[in-house]
Amino acid sequence: MSHDRELRKGSAELLILALLEQRDRHGYEIAKLIDERSDGALKFHVASLYPTLYRLERRGLIRGRWVERAGTRRRRFYRITAEGQKMLDSQRRSWNALFTDLNRVARIRHA
Amino acid sequence: MRDFTSLDFISLVRARLAPLRVDPAREADIVGELAQHVAEHHAELVASGVPDDEAIAMALAPLDDRDRVAADIARADRPRVTAPEPPPLEGSSGSSVAGDFVRDLRYATRLLMQAPGFTAVAIVTLALGIGANAAIFSVLNSVLLKPLPYADPARLVMIGERGPDGSAGNTDYTTFLDWRDRAHTFEEMALIRSWQPTLMVNGEPERIAAMRVSWNYFRMLGVRPALGRDFRADEDNPDRWRVLLISDRLWRRRFGADPSVIGRVVKMNDLEHTIVGVVPPAFEPLISEHFYQPADMWGLVGYNVSLNYACRGCQHLKAIGRVNAGTSLETARADIDAVQAQLRRQFPAEYAQETMTLVPLQDELTNQIRPALLVLMGAVAFVLLIACANVANLLLARMARREHDLALRTALGASRGRLVRQLLAENTLLAALGGGAGVLLAATAVPLLAQVAPASMARLADAHVDARVVAFSALMSLATAMAFGLLPALRASRIDLRDAMHGETRKTSHAPTSLARRLLVAADVALAVVLLVGAGLMIRSVERLLGVDPGFDPDHVLTMQISMVGEAYRRDEAVAARTDEMVANLRALPGVSAVAAAGQIPLGGNGDRWGFHVQGRPVTPEDPSVERYSVTPEYFSVMRIPLRRGRLFTDADRAGAEPVMLVGERTARILWPGADPIGQHVRIGSATTGPWRTVVGIVGDVRHQQLAAPPTMQMYTPQGQVTDSFLTFVVRASGDVSILASEARRAIWSVARDVPVYETAPLMDLVARSVGPRRFVMLLLECFGASALLMTAVGLYGVISFTVSERTREIGIRAALGASRADIVRLVLGSGFLVVFSGLVVGVIVAAGATRYLQGSLYGISPTDPATFATVVALLFFVTLTAQSLPIARAMRVDPAVALRQE
Repeated sequence: MSHDRELRKGSAELLILALLEQRDRHGYEIAKLIDERSDGALKFHVASLYPTLYRLERRGLIRGRWVERAGTRRRRFYRITAEGQKMLDSQRRSWNALFTDLNRVARIRHA
Repeated sequence: MRDFTSLDFISLVRARLAPLRVDPAREADIVGELAQHVAEHHAELVASGVPDDEAIAMALAPLDDRDRVAADIARADRPRVTAPEPPPLEGSSGSSVAGDFVRDLRYATRLLMQAPGFTAVAIVTLALGIGANAAIFSVLNSVLLKPLPYADPARLVMIGERGPDGSAGNTDYTTFLDWRDRAHTFEEMALIRSWQPTLMVNGEPERIAAMRVSWNYFRMLGVRPALGRDFRADEDNPDRWRVLLISDRLWRRRFGADPSVIGRVVKMNDLEHTIVGVVPPAFEPLISEHFYQPADMWGLVGYNVSLNYACRGCQHLKAIGRVNAGTSLETARADIDAVQAQLRRQFPAEYAQETMTLVPLQDELTNQIRPALLVLMGAVAFVLLIACANVANLLLARMARREHDLALRTALGASRGRLVRQLLAENTLLAALGGGAGVLLAATAVPLLAQVAPASMARLADAHVDARVVAFSALMSLATAMAFGLLPALRASRIDLRDAMHGETRKTSHAPTSLARRLLVAADVALAVVLLVGAGLMIRSVERLLGVDPGFDPDHVLTMQISMVGEAYRRDEAVAARTDEMVANLRALPGVSAVAAAGQIPLGGNGDRWGFHVQGRPVTPEDPSVERYSVTPEYFSVMRIPLRRGRLFTDADRAGAEPVMLVGERTARILWPGADPIGQHVRIGSATTGPWRTVVGIVGDVRHQQLAAPPTMQMYTPQGQVTDSFLTFVVRASGDVSILASEARRAIWSVARDVPVYETAPLMDLVARSVGPRRFVMLLLECFGASALLMTAVGLYGVISFTVSERTREIGIRAALGASRADIVRLVLGSGFLVVFSGLVVGVIVAAGATRYLQGSLYGISPTDPATFATVVALLFFVTLTAQSLPIARAMRVDPAVALRQE
């Protein structure tokens, strides 16, 4: 369905927050992880990832800072904030609720 | 393989990205980050064996749409919140309750200015609610609440036998003297009676609205003449009574405000009267206005007991008294009752078995209008409640959008009390603005009200927005702020911090707010039902009243009054002869088909009831009083009053011929049940003197006092045999009769130049005037009903829109999963329908209970008329359906793709 893409995009924030929940990551790593973990079903590229990251940062849900480690490039690493953590928790709850609703209404079962 | 440095990618990215228009340092940051991403992607592609050039192209490809990418990034990176800086939290330096309040107000002002749409709707809604209340309260204040403009008005009472409607009846001179001499609880007692003298100034006759009063009348009211002197006790007798006080208005109009008017002798009804004083300009002739007409002249009653119209039973006078200071109304009533009981024992034949009553003058003067005003006051209270519910609704919706902000403030340490105070400051500001606009609205509306008000609401003319009204409105605004602001404020103080911080997830956390908003709209609907049912019942009443057959045909009839008084008209023959000449002159006017003169006409505002004694039956005090009309023969064809049996009057029924009369159907039915009145003999007025008159015909009944009242007992005598000198001409003509007025006046003056012609009006106007008070109430209820309808529609529209936008994602998912349009309409409509339905049910129940307060103003319709209720319910249902159609249309257009992308 053509809505799949939109649906995935709508959940982008959730995915990013979830990845940052584990540890700090930079943009390219985030894009790669989403790609890998979804077996290529979800793809972020430079033009779609960064607006989402900046928006999350502006809302205080994640914070980015430049880190230069010896022998690697200078990269911007993102870390989830306390607010972001709360947001993630609640997003999880509401998606859960949504799926429960969907299941009830449309008899869809999710994995 | 070339080795690209980060720097190379920075210039590649920058070359592909349109300017971001953000801070240059930040822009460099962003470009750096994107370049780093592209570099890593490129490196990976190359590592996996992609040729270098291809890898560069692939890594940079997502940036091809340079403008869109730049716009997306810039939008995402721009600060989201532009709300004004909230006031500092508690505990910050310089914090005080007053300081906080001022800061809160300032903050509230900025917030309101930021949401001009919300602010405008809220203020207009409040202005409507408070304005309507202030306007009606202004009327109530000036008509009912403001004490009469006389000294110590609470002690002034009407005294008389208790009438069927609780009012004080007329009295006679001799009885009055007994009251005055024997009752001890009254400081003063005075008599009044009607008077319509014709004043001749420079050969021009003018009928003056006047009143005859006891010498102590003005003293009792606490009014002293501005010029000259008051009446004296030694003038109030048949020999010396021809002294006058005149109004300031008459003094200026007819006497050029000449101070030497005192002592001036004027001729009225061919008799000389001396002006002794001018009443102050501020004096309001409310008593004469209520009983007769606003007086411009006062003469003395000037009776003594030897006069034949001073007899016990000659009840044509009204008694007003001033109760002693400190004496209760009950004590005074018991006192006068005891006196009357004595009189009944002394003169058993003279008094019917009635108890006495004292009616506070203020009540007497307002009794006709009070129920209507109280109904209107109740109706505007409903309008205000609807306005409150709507504003509360608006605030709740706004609150839901501000939860994030409020939660943030809580997180930063603001106490809940502090937040509630901040919200109340906002509400107070809104209420103050709404109240101010409301007072302005009222100030504009009150003069308009005075214009459409019927004549019986006389004091309404001076109704205006005064300090009392402003105080009332301020109080009401404050109460309103509390009422509509408390719910949202309390709700805000309970906001769940965690939920609210990610409030943009559009979860179901607004459920309680949503419920409150639904309840408020249901209340709107219920209140609107009550108001609209009230308005509907009034509309039907007025319709039915106007549809009532008055017993005559008022179309195409001009009426005009004259009075033939003075030396030239001493003898009845002279009056009768002049009447005939005038009728003939009027008859000759073009377009005129029939003309008659009558001592009084139905709905003309007078009454003339005479005792009715049938020959051969015992005379009792209970003999009926029957409305009497002295008419010229063509009267019945002008008025189109049908003859039921017998014959009408002819020119032969004049003085010297056999005395004859006609009776109305009701009179015939009541006095001769099952028998034929024709040929019966009747004495009218006195039971013992005067000729016996033969009943020669029965005519249809007319509605005399008002359309709403059933016909009274009526009789007709020929003007030639019972000659009245105060006459109303009725002229039936084709076309617009009002343009006939000046010709008709000339036709009368060509017979007698000294006859004043006044109150010229189409008969239709008199009929309309009789419906005036009801029409006034109807008009206002219609206005209130319409605003209720509008506000309810807006309220419902708001709630449903909000629901739709709250549930856009859900609707999108449903649409995506294949829900049909009908399903979505059902979803949205279902949520609105329950609200409307419960509101309608509650409204109908409340209306069924509340409309009985309207009973007194209704006519020919039950307060629970099913048709009216059904119409209102259908109307509201339709309007609420329309109000929902816009949000429903929006819901149907929801693009699942867009909906799901929403944050």
